[in-house]
Amino acid sequence: MSTPEQLAIVQSKFTTGETVVIAMEAKLCQGWLKSTRLIAVVNKGSTSALVVLITSRNPPQVYSDLTIEKILPIDQDFQCNIGTDEEQQDVTDVFLNVTCRKTRTIFEMRPGIAATNLVSAIFQAIDVYQKNKNPTTDFLWIQKLTGSVRSLDISGDQEETISDPIVDLESQDINISRRNIATGKTPIAPRESVVRYQMACKEDDYTYTKNFRLFIGTWNVNGQPPIGITLQKWLSCDEEPPDIYAIGFQELDLSKEAFLFNDTPREEEWRHIVSRSLHPDANYEQIALVRLVGMMLIVFTQTAHLPHIKNVCVDTVGTGIMGKMGNKGGVAVSCTIHNTSVCFINAHLAAHSEEYERRNQDFADICARLHFSTYAPSKGFKDHDQIYWLGDLNYRITEMDAFRAKQFLAGGNLLPVLKLDQLEQQRKLGKVFQGFHEADITFKPTYKYDPGTDNWDSSEKGRAPAWCDRVLWKGEAINSIAYRSHPELKISDHKPVSSIFDSQVRVIDVAKYRKIHEDLMKKLDKLENEFLPQVTVDTTEVIFETLRFDEPCSKELIVANTGQVPVEFEFIKKLDDASYCKDWLSITPYTDFIEPGQKCDIKLEVRVDKRSAWKLNSGADQLYDILVLHLVNGKDIFITVTGTYERSCFGCSMEALIHIPVPIREVPAGRIMELENSKNLSQDPYSVPKEIWLLVDRLYRHGIKTPGLFETQGLHSEVLAIRDWLDVGSQDAMPGSVHSVAEALLLLLDSTPEPLIPYNLHSQCLSATASYLQCKQIVMQLPEIRRTVFLYICAFLQELLNHTQDNGLDAKTLASLFGSFFLRDLPRARDDRIHRSRTIQPTFDRKKAAFVYHFLINDQSDFIGR
Amino acid sequence: MASRGTAQRPNGTQGKICQFKLVLLGESAVGKSSLVLRFVKGQFHEYQESTIGAAFLTQTVCLEETTVKFEIWDTAGQERYHSLAPMYYRGAQAAIVVYDITNQDTFTRATTWVKELQRQASPSIVIALAGNKADLGNKRVVEYEEAQAYAEENGLLFMETSAKTAMNVNDIFLAIAKKLPKNEQTGNAGTSGQGRRLVESEGQKPTSGNCCK
Repeated sequence: MSTPEQLAIVQSKFTTGETVVIAMEAKLCQGWLKSTRLIAVVNKGSTSALVVLITSRNPPQVYSDLTIEKILPIDQDFQCNIGTDEEQQDVTDVFLNVTCRKTRTIFEMRPGIAATNLVSAIFQAIDVYQKNKNPTTDFLWIQKLTGSVRSLDISGDQEETISDPIVDLESQDINISRRNIATGKTPIAPRESVVRYQMACKEDDYTYTKNFRLFIGTWNVNGQPPIGITLQKWLSCDEEPPDIYAIGFQELDLSKEAFLFNDTPREEEWRHIVSRSLHPDANYEQIALVRLVGMMLIVFTQTAHLPHIKNVCVDTVGTGIMGKMGNKGGVAVSCTIHNTSVCFINAHLAAHSEEYERRNQDFADICARLHFSTYAPSKGFKDHDQIYWLGDLNYRITEMDAFRAKQFLAGGNLLPVLKLDQLEQQRKLGKVFQGFHEADITFKPTYKYDPGTDNWDSSEKGRAPAWCDRVLWKGEAINSIAYRSHPELKISDHKPVSSIFDSQVRVIDVAKYRKIHEDLMKKLDKLENEFLPQVTVDTTEVIFETLRFDEPCSKELIVANTGQVPVEFEFIKKLDDASYCKDWLSITPYTDFIEPGQKCDIKLEVRVDKRSAWKLNSGADQLYDILVLHLVNGKDIFITVTGTYERSCFGCSMEALIHIPVPIREVPAGRIMELENSKNLSQDPYSVPKEIWLLVDRLYRHGIKTPGLFETQGLHSEVLAIRDWLDVGSQDAMPGSVHSVAEALLLLLDSTPEPLIPYNLHSQCLSATASYLQCKQIVMQLPEIRRTVFLYICAFLQELLNHTQDNGLDAKTLASLFGSFFLRDLPRARDDRIHRSRTIQPTFDRKKAAFVYHFLINDQSDFIGR
Repeated sequence: MASRGTAQRPNGTQGKICQFKLVLLGESAVGKSSLVLRFVKGQFHEYQESTIGAAFLTQTVCLEETTVKFEIWDTAGQERYHSLAPMYYRGAQAAIVVYDITNQDTFTRATTWVKELQRQASPSIVIALAGNKADLGNKRVVEYEEAQAYAEENGLLFMETSAKTAMNVNDIFLAIAKKLPKNEQTGNAGTSGQGRRLVESEGQKPTSGNCCK
């Protein structure tokens, strides 16, 4: 969603001067639901806003596909955090956590360049705002846009209630169509991410605060090696051992090698001496060390806290020569202490008295460029609960000459000098360290001294003293306990500074956490179960009383949606079955949607036809099926379909029929099954099934001169009457017209388990069509009953052809018709046939006709004689 | 530069959620649906309708380190639906085979279910045997010791339960949740132990990897 066309569509929602910088698709997470939104960064002048749009079509094609849902001004109230789910390594979704007007909104994005660009656009907008601090009136354009959507309180006085996403879900104004929930178009969020989000919202309920004493120290050592000194007077001058140390150095090494290759032996020398100078009343462990040229930051923790310190990562930013080099800039360590994220930044800003603007710029650059990239996407320094900024910030005193300043300071009168401190001034103007705090300075300037002494710089430059070395902080629940310099350490032209903080760290109360977590799970379970599709069916037993061959019968099944969500149902296949129901059954519709409170009538139609009848006769199948009515994302319901099949000669094999001397209804089903399986055959079978004989005889007597015999369709009702006449037996004449009789004959031939000429002989037949002799030989090979029936019917057809003057039939038409019955294709080949029909099928059909044709035009007396 | 650990979840405090498919099997009217209803909703209906199909519910169990989410398939017990059961136990990581302590036949049927599962289901399936209707002690015909001995022989979890009084209902699901393999390492799920038949004796933890979501 960042093609120019699509961006243009989003742009069309705004007027001139309002520029859509970037737009991308994201999922708005509401409770355990996710719905698609477009999120865009829009700016006007130097103000920006994050805009959330609903799309009715994805991707949007025209202006009207988009509706502005929310506009969040990127101002002092706007906060943005990034989180990811790194444990799932292949699908690392990015969570954009936006807080504005005390309302938290969470978006899920696919990681990638688009997400990274969006995030950097947001952070850039935040930075721009931090620089300009636009008054609220600059954001009035937003109000105009939101007028039709939702009035937005620009002043931020009015707090929107913090919405519990679960409550949102249950409320009516949820913007997600319920159908989407049921169809899975809106994926039900993986619980883990939902739970994490929900738990984050409830953090206050399961955490308590614990005091951590932090020692923050900074020292510009002016390239001096730590020879012959100890640091106890700086690092362990207090009675109580701190929990955490963050110690920063600047100008650790001023050599060219350090600058060019970022490699110095001083790192280990100073690290070593620092670690030996920590408070003796506690054991410490180093958790991070980061260095860029001369800037080094080491963080130690009391060993006992080590298991609670996680996510440690570091970054460096060079702002020196060309704005890149590491002679100036900052190094930082980010970590999580218990449940509080903390960032320590050690900076060395631009030097020279007059360059305060350059220092401001360095600060802004460090802020913008610090990224803890082991998070994906990287986490900026602002995304921390507590930030401690230390270092040689290099702000000077320029509005008072050195002599006068030294006079004040000598008299212990710091205030007049402090008033002129550039950092103090620039902060008051809002140009730098916005939102940061600093404790009152009660110590003498820490710069510049003659090394080895407590005397002010005596060199020719005679620089004015300055508080270059500072410690500031940002974040809640941080109490400054001490802020001082340590003039006892004299090797450098700077004095070290240290600061002690009592900071409240949020600690998870495991018992409370579990309880809330469990409650949340239960709530989610309840919701999930309530939102499961629910239906009732009017019956789970569909019974068809009596079913006859080729006589369809249908029943209705009513499925009513009794749940809260739309239901998509589908009859599904059982295990390894090929279809969701038996071939004698059809279900319409077999899949559909039902809205809550609505119902759906499903027609179940049973039709035992030529494809399925023989299976019922032989016992290979029965009129019994269990249907699985599956609700998508929900339960299954079993529907049992049963019926009683009235057995019929249709669907019986010739082999069975010749052993049945009475109408088939008088024969028990088990007996037919026996005969179909060639068991207990009778002693004295007919040579031709009586049903064939009856039908042929009827045609011979009444239809031999009928024009269009076998070409005119019979009536289905008459065919059924003929079926009953054959199956039940009657003294009356056979019902129906000769055309219906003809059709019944063909249907009888078509419904046998196997065609009259067995499948295994088909290819032989088709390749023998050129020679009558060969065709005859094949017929000779047929099982006796098949051969008899074959020749019997052919003889009858020859007889018909003797009356062509009356009935108008010709041998080719009959050969073609009967060829397709005698040599019926395998039913399994139905799919192939579709494929075959255009190319090979006509050839097959012609050959079948040619085969039969021989037997219609040649004298067969030699056959019959046998 | 020293940096301990790589990127972790910013709020690294929440345990992960493992999702498992659990199927209930057993003769009709032994109380499969009642057990699920008690477990999921804390309810009991004296006249629970017969299940014709396979009911589906979800329920989560919170353990010390992980959270186990069960997708519960409560199957129809009637014999005529027997042939459909594999649709539900295929791919299941856990099964509860239920019998009625007041009916010997249901216990016999339960043992055939266990056999079928051992033969047809996933080799690493965790099977629990539940002797339900334990509140009807005065009508008991299946002795606790008999069922327990059988369960031990076959490496099954075993509890007598009562959906009516809620006795052992949560416990049996909890016991299953604990016994299910929860791969601590992400990324190599499902590679080891595939197809290995586990002889699960007491205290031995299954090692085969049923992937956690």
